[in-house]
Amino acid sequence: MRRYETIIIIRPNAGEDDIVAVTDRVTSIITGDGGTIIKSDRWGLKKLAYLIKKESQGYYIHIDYAGQPGSVTEIERILKIDDRCIKFMTVKLAAACDPAAVIAAMEAAAAARPTNQDEAIGEEDDVDSDDEDTEDDE
Amino acid sequence: MAGRKRIFPRQKVCRFCTDKKLVIDYKEVRTLKNFVTERGKIIPRRIYGNCAKHQRKLTEAIKMARQIALMPYSGTTQY
Repeated sequence: MRRYETIIIIRPNAGEDDIVAVTDRVTSIITGDGGTIIKSDRWGLKKLAYLIKKESQGYYIHIDYAGQPGSVTEIERILKIDDRCIKFMTVKLAAACDPAAVIAAMEAAAAARPTNQDEAIGEEDDVDSDDEDTEDDE
Repeated sequence: MAGRKRIFPRQKVCRFCTDKKLVIDYKEVRTLKNFVTERGKIIPRRIYGNCAKHQRKLTEAIKMARQIALMPYSGTTQY
């Protein structure tokens, strides 16, 4: 198993159904070859740095996964045919990858993060209450 | 030797070596943007004093970001 990440840019005029269809197609290829999705993320509509197929905007999809090299070639073949996809890029992150360990590590990191956020929120509340106090004085 | 003006440049240190939290990732355009000119050209390492290893990673990241249209090959872009 190798760890890859693929970024797909979809035409901005494509609907929600098209975006879901493309992601499902890609994820089904990965899981079909025995791979696992580590993270599937949508960056949303972004402005492109240069025109691609006469489009100035694009809908970004980012998929992080552990899979076989064969599934990457298959994904790229499918995306080349697909008209909705205007550009894609796959990067190999690691030659050997244990998806279970990676997901566990990510969950641990995610578990560590919300506590920090809670503290941050608590601090913000304090700040807000201070502001209210000052307003009351006025 | 006596008449020649000697300039001692300030010792520059690599930003990525000093700040371990700063990671080079082609997806993080915000950090990469600091190392290109307004026109999108990669700034040579003699300017910021990056170490060779990090400058190499940086240029690779910038070139990858260009491929997927996160950064321009040339010209300015408004983010």
